Amino acid sequence: MLNTMLLSFSLKNTYRVNAILHSLKQIPLLKRLLPDTLYRVRGLKIFANVLAALYELLSVFLFKFLYVFCFLFLPPILQEGKMLPEAFPQIYLFLALLGAFSNTFLFNPTKEKYYAVILMRMNARSYALANYAYDMAKYLVGQLTAMMVLGGLASVPLWLCALAPLFAAGCKVTVAAYTLHDYEKTGKATSENKLGKLDWVAIGMLLIAAYVPFLLGWFLPQAALAGIFLAGILIGALSLRKVLTFREYRALYQKLLTEGMATLSSAKAAPAAQVKKNISADTGITSKKEGFEFLNELFIRRHQKILWKSSKRIAVVAACIFALLIGLLFFLPEEDRRDMSVLPLTYLPYFTFIMYSVNRGTGFTQALFMNCDVSLLTYSFFKQPKMILRLFRIRLREIIKVNLLPATVIAAGLCFILALSGGTDNPVNYLVLIVSILCLSVFFSVHYLTIYYLLQPYNAGTEMKNGTYRLVLMATYLICFILMQLRLPTLLFGGAVILFCAAYCAIACVLVYRLAPKTFRIHG
Amino acid sequence: MDFIIDHLSKSYEQKKVLEDVSFRFSSGKIYGLLGRNGAGKTTLFNCLNRDITVDGGAFFFEDEQGRREVEPEDIGYVLSTPTVPDFLTGREFLKFFMDINRGSITDPKPLDDYFDFISIPAEDRDRLMKDYSHGMKNKMQMLINFIANPTLFLLDEPLTSLDVVVAEEMKQLLRECKEGRIIIFSTHLLDLAVDLCDEIVLLSHGMLQSVDHAALDNDAFKEKILDALREDGHA
Repeated sequence: MLNTMLLSFSLKNTYRVNAILHSLKQIPLLKRLLPDTLYRVRGLKIFANVLAALYELLSVFLFKFLYVFCFLFLPPILQEGKMLPEAFPQIYLFLALLGAFSNTFLFNPTKEKYYAVILMRMNARSYALANYAYDMAKYLVGQLTAMMVLGGLASVPLWLCALAPLFAAGCKVTVAAYTLHDYEKTGKATSENKLGKLDWVAIGMLLIAAYVPFLLGWFLPQAALAGIFLAGILIGALSLRKVLTFREYRALYQKLLTEGMATLSSAKAAPAAQVKKNISADTGITSKKEGFEFLNELFIRRHQKILWKSSKRIAVVAACIFALLIGLLFFLPEEDRRDMSVLPLTYLPYFTFIMYSVNRGTGFTQALFMNCDVSLLTYSFFKQPKMILRLFRIRLREIIKVNLLPATVIAAGLCFILALSGGTDNPVNYLVLIVSILCLSVFFSVHYLTIYYLLQPYNAGTEMKNGTYRLVLMATYLICFILMQLRLPTLLFGGAVILFCAAYCAIACVLVYRLAPKTFRIHG
Repeated sequence: MDFIIDHLSKSYEQKKVLEDVSFRFSSGKIYGLLGRNGAGKTTLFNCLNRDITVDGGAFFFEDEQGRREVEPEDIGYVLSTPTVPDFLTGREFLKFFMDINRGSITDPKPLDDYFDFISIPAEDRDRLMKDYSHGMKNKMQMLINFIANPTLFLLDEPLTSLDVVVAEEMKQLLRECKEGRIIIFSTHLLDLAVDLCDEIVLLSHGMLQSVDHAALDNDAFKEKILDALREDGHA
C-alpha cells in the first residue's frame, strides 16, 4: 500500500512538474531563454519540484484556511459586526454535509487516476485506497488546523472545533460507502462532477439551512451539535469497512474514468465545436455580392447570433438602463438631480471598462479563425498580401459597425443625463462625451482585429498557442479595470482618450499593412 | 521548368530536422516523398509553403529564361485533414474562389461542371460544408487547388483517410493534371507511392535522395526503399 502511495504520488508529481515547465515555456521572452530540452534540465526540474511541493502545502493549509475564513468566520462579522461562537459550528455542519457528496475524493475522475489506473494499469484497489487515505489525511490536517485557529479566535470551544472536521470526514466516508453499495446493486458509477437535479436541490437546501437560521438568529444548542457530530463520526467509522472491503474498484474506475476522460478531451475541442454552433443554418441567407464582400456578407449574416443580434441586445439593455435613470431624474429633487451629473462628468473612465465589456471583438476574431481562416489560410490565394489587406479592411469596417450601435446608445444616454441633470454649461462636454465613447468603441474594434492579424494566436488544431496574445488580452483587461477606479473630469479624460484612440488606430493600421502579410498565417 | 531546392536547412534549437536538403524536381512528374515518422516531411512542406521560416538555403523555379522566386500563388498545399470554411456551402466557396481569382483562371467553366468533375452530387452542392463528410471536404480542397492551377503541388498524406472509391478518383485526377506541374506527394503507404508516383524521393538524416527505379521490378524496388529507410534512426 505504501509502495502504491509513493508510486502514485511520484506520478502525480511528475505530471505537475511537467505542467509547470510547460507553462513556463509559454511566457514570451522567457520561452526564448529556456531550451527545448527543459524537461531534462536538473535545475529547472528542482525548481518546478519546489513549486509543486509549495502548491501541495498551499492546498493543505492555505485553501482550508480560506474556506473556513470565507464561509464560517466572515459571515457573522459582516452580518452582526462581531464573531458569533454559535454560528461557526452550525454553518460548518451543513457545509460538511454538502461537501460529503460534492467533494468525495474517491469519485472525482481526475487525469492522474486515469493515467495510473487505466493507462499504467496500477492495482485499482490499492491505488484508490492509498490515495483516499492520503487525501483524507491532508484534508483532516488542514481542516483541523484551520478550525482550531479560526474557531479559537471566534471563541468556539476547541473540542467542538476538533470534532467538526472528523464529522465532515465521517460524512464523506458514509457517502462513499453508500455510493459503492449502490454501484454493487445497480452498476452505476456516479462521478462527483456530474451532479443530478436532486443533488443541486440538496445543495440549495443545505446552503439555506446553513445560512438562513443564522441570519434569523436561530441556533442549535451546543449539546445537540456535539451529538450530531459524534453520530456522524460513528457512522463514518462503521462505513469505513465498506470502503476498505469493496473489491470492484477496477471496474468502477474503468467506468468512471473513461467517461470522465471523454468529457475532458471533448472539453479541449469544445471551444471550436461551440463556435461552429454559432453558424446559422438558415438557408435563406444568401448574398448578391462578389469576392471578399460576398465572403464577408455571408460570414456576418451567418454569425448574427454573436454579432448583430448580440450587439442589438446590448443596445436595448443599455437603452432601458438609461431610460430608467432618465425617468428617475424627473422624480429627484433639484439638488439630487445635479448630483447625477457626476455620472457623465467624472465617471467617464468607468465607461472604458463598460465599452471593453460590451465589445464583440474577441467573439468576432474567434469565429473568424475557427469557422473561416483556419481553413482558408491553407490556400495560397488567400495568403497573398493584397488579399489579406483587402479582407482586413472589410472586416475592420464590419466590426466597427457592429460595435458602434451600442456605443451610440450609451453616448446618447450619457448626453441626455447630462442635459437633464443640468450639470454643465459648457457644450464642449457633450462633444467630448460623444466622441470619446465612439472612439473607445472604435479603439476596441481595431485593437482586437489588429492583435488577431499581428499575432494570429491559434494553431491548426484551433488551440490558442500564443503566450503574447494572452498577455495582451490580460493587459487590456487590467488597464480597463484600473481605469474603472479613476475619477477624472470628462474634458480631461475624454480629450486624452480621443487622442490616444486616434494615435493607436493609425499606428495599428500601419503595423497591419506592414506586418500582417507575414504574421497572418497558421503557426506550426 | 524545374523546381530546385538548394541547401535548405531548418533546426529546432539543437534538433536539426532538415540538415542539407538539395533536390531538382522536374515538371510533368509526380514525386513520392517517403520518410520515417518524424523525418521532417511536414516541416519540409511548411518551409516550402513559407509557413515557417528556414534557417538557410533557398528554393526557386528554373527554366530557359533563368531563375525566378516562388510566389504564394505558385503553390497548392493540400493537407491530410481537409480544411474548408464551414460557414459556406460548397457552391458559395467555389463562387468566392472564382470571384477572387477572376483573371488568373484560364478557361473558367460553370460551377456545376466543376462539381460534376469531382462527382459531388447535386443535392450536396448547396449544403453548408460543416455538414460535409471527410471525403467531400477533401474533394472540395483538391478541386480548389486544381482550378488554381499552381505550378507546385504539395500533398501531405492526402489519400490516407479516403474510402477506396474516392481515393481511386483522386489518383486518377492527379495523373490527369500532372502535365506541366510538379507534384510532391508525401505518404506512408509504400504501395501507393510505387503505384502512383513517377519517382520516389526519400527524406532521411535531414536530406533528400532519390531511389533509382531502373532495372528493378516493383517488389525489389520496395525492398530497396525499405532498406534505405531502415538505416534511418527515426521511429
